[in-house]
Amino acid sequence: MEKRRISRILARADGAAVKRLADEIKAVQSPVIVKAPEKSLAMIRMREPVQESLFYLGEVIVCEAIVDLAGKKGVAVLMGDDFDKVLDMAVIDAACNAGVFARYDELERLEREQKIQLEKERAMFLKTMVSFHSMDSEVAP
Amino acid sequence: MAYVAVSGGEEAIEASIALLNYYRSGTDKDLDLEVIEEKMSLLVDRVMSEAGLYSKRYAALALKQCEGSSDEAVFLLRAYRSTLKRSYDTRVVNTQDMRIARRISAAFKDIPGGQVLGATYDYTHRLMNFSLETEDAPALQKKMRDLVQSQTPVEAPDSPRVSDTLKDEGLIDRFPANDEKPFDVTQNLLEFPAPRSARLQTLSRADTGFISGLAYSVLRGFGQVHPTVGELRVGAVELEVPYLENPEESLYIGDVLLTEVEVFNEADDKNQLKLSCGYGAVFGRNENKAIAMAVLDHELSTTGDFPTQNDEFVLMHGDSLEMNGFISHLKLPHYVTFQSKLDAVRKTRRKTT
Repeated sequence: MEKRRISRILARADGAAVKRLADEIKAVQSPVIVKAPEKSLAMIRMREPVQESLFYLGEVIVCEAIVDLAGKKGVAVLMGDDFDKVLDMAVIDAACNAGVFARYDELERLEREQKIQLEKERAMFLKTMVSFHSMDSEVAP
Repeated sequence: MAYVAVSGGEEAIEASIALLNYYRSGTDKDLDLEVIEEKMSLLVDRVMSEAGLYSKRYAALALKQCEGSSDEAVFLLRAYRSTLKRSYDTRVVNTQDMRIARRISAAFKDIPGGQVLGATYDYTHRLMNFSLETEDAPALQKKMRDLVQSQTPVEAPDSPRVSDTLKDEGLIDRFPANDEKPFDVTQNLLEFPAPRSARLQTLSRADTGFISGLAYSVLRGFGQVHPTVGELRVGAVELEVPYLENPEESLYIGDVLLTEVEVFNEADDKNQLKLSCGYGAVFGRNENKAIAMAVLDHELSTTGDFPTQNDEFVLMHGDSLEMNGFISHLKLPHYVTFQSKLDAVRKTRRKTT
């Protein structure tokens, strides 16, 4: 599973769900904190569509943690300041890198739930789609 | 009466700062940060945008701390931001991938993907709703959660940019992707003429009122255009940063809510076969600011004598922190400089009498 996908699932998941996964790992492994969670900034790079150039939109506060598990590093970066969650995410990342993470089924279950939730929210927005009744064509002949 | 430079006043200043709490003490009810975040979200969005820092929770805290003053809240967030190091630039965000919550066009009624009104005050009657004086907040939350859960999940419709269609027809110029490193106004002093990246960053974090007023001046005649909103989008975009252990991979770090606008303008005198565009993008739901930004972006691309065509005028006077700081400093003691002014006036009066 790609890092992008795993991190998206975990970032969107409830902190308690992430903790349960991390606790399962910590029950049999002993991760060591390499870099305790701390806050920093990430600058958002945007592409604007007029000239297809880049600009900086603004910054977000992120927290970051690094752990070591069986000689493999685990890294997590998360918007906000939830230190417990980012540390748990780093433990899970280290377990993935060490090849000892066995709960991809749970990640896939969470992902399915998250997808349905987003699609339900989208359905609510799409209910406000305008249906125009055209009296004349706006396409030039 | 004599005027002299003075020192002192520390005790009075400390007492004054302590007295600020007096104005927050008129009720025994606390203002929960979650309440500010969730029920004052447009104010939170405005503060985040003007601070150039996306953090709902900290913006809510700043607003609580300063009794809801948006410029003080911006000051607090900027000050806090300056204590943090910057660890990452995100992967390039392309709003083509936005999870759309609202999307309209004033240029075409039929756009691929459809016009989605989303949540908007545009069509509301501006009548006071006195029932909110005693609102049942838990019931409202349950009602809206039930509404979401009752939906049938749908995939995102394909929603290409309106401008892409016009680019395909050759009516708008299409440029190749330009990956030049952007200018960062938070780390470098602006020089003029400002690069496009500096212009967009400055406008995006500008004071909402300032750029709205300038854009209004353009529309009223102190400018060249009356643009058409080609597309306005509100929605969430995903942020990713490089993964430290393998920069080929990315980590998702969260979503930010944005408002994005493209405006189309009449052709200029030199090139009457094309439309030209202006672009605006701001944190949160702030449509008028995004439109104003797009109007000014286009206006600054033209030449002429209107104030809004002067990039130093537009870009140097709209920063909330800078403008309010400078105006605010007028309240601080100017005893010596004022005495000098007074002396000059008195001397002139003596000469004339």
